[in-house]
Amino acid sequence: MEDKNLTQNESLEIISRMIKETRNNMERGGGNIFLLWGYICLIVSLAVYCLLSNTGDYRFNWLWFAIPVIGYPGMIYMLKKREKGAITIASRVISNIWIVLGIVAGLLSIYMFVDYKAYPIMFVMSLLINSGVAISGLVIRFRPIVVAGFLGILLSFGMLMVAGINQILIFALLAVIMLIIPGHILNNASRKVKAENNA
Amino acid sequence: MQVVKLKLKTMPKDNVNSFRELDPLLHSQLRLAVMSLLISLEEADFVYLREKTGSTAGNLSVQLDKLSQAKYIEVDKGYSGKKPRTVCRITDTGRKAFEEYLEALKTYIG
Repeated sequence: MEDKNLTQNESLEIISRMIKETRNNMERGGGNIFLLWGYICLIVSLAVYCLLSNTGDYRFNWLWFAIPVIGYPGMIYMLKKREKGAITIASRVISNIWIVLGIVAGLLSIYMFVDYKAYPIMFVMSLLINSGVAISGLVIRFRPIVVAGFLGILLSFGMLMVAGINQILIFALLAVIMLIIPGHILNNASRKVKAENNA
Repeated sequence: MQVVKLKLKTMPKDNVNSFRELDPLLHSQLRLAVMSLLISLEEADFVYLREKTGSTAGNLSVQLDKLSQAKYIEVDKGYSGKKPRTVCRITDTGRKAFEEYLEALKTYIG
């Protein structure tokens, strides 16, 4: 591209092409963070379920803390590794939403030490995470994530209908619906865009 | 201030007066491409802008300086780890100029 004057059609063509480039940038690599959290939640919840149902020892609930302990360093590593050439307004909004939700989730977990019967923690956490997923989907206008988020919100209420450790199985199912499936869909869409750009 | 009017010679005389002036700073291929990228982004670094516009580093650097001098963009020169990194952001002045450029462009198409 050179520094030359343009006709009106050339101007419009440049403007629309460059704006399209920034839209493509939005979805690149975004699915990996969904997959990271999704697989950690799935593995940890299944592990907790197996250990609790086999031993009945509720101290295995401490394993839930493996989710933030593995998840946050993993996410920071992935964000550092990710292409940092440009930050879209949407990605900044989404980051801020998840920072707030992360803090709220942390406070809700910590309050469990004060009064573990204060609220149904699995339900509240699921509702919180799924709301984040739905908002993220709406911000980037990516329908599979919006659908996953709202489906997750509805399924979260299932936690209130199921007693005891069976709630953990619903949480594992939610990890698949709200994080793993949308993560793979987002990465496929990103690969498709990349292939189209290279063609 | 230098202004650009497009295809004046080929247009009917009545239409010429309805054309708005196009900002000469934006009416150039590379500067318009940079502004079109930055308008939809919070910020972008030099490497990203070079890749997306397909320009040379030298030319891009000159055009960024021109946009920066007009206060259309902010340029921050810093480091990412040990590597130097130049980050560009559109300013309110630049955003307004870009919107006015689009409005002016409409009068030529419309």
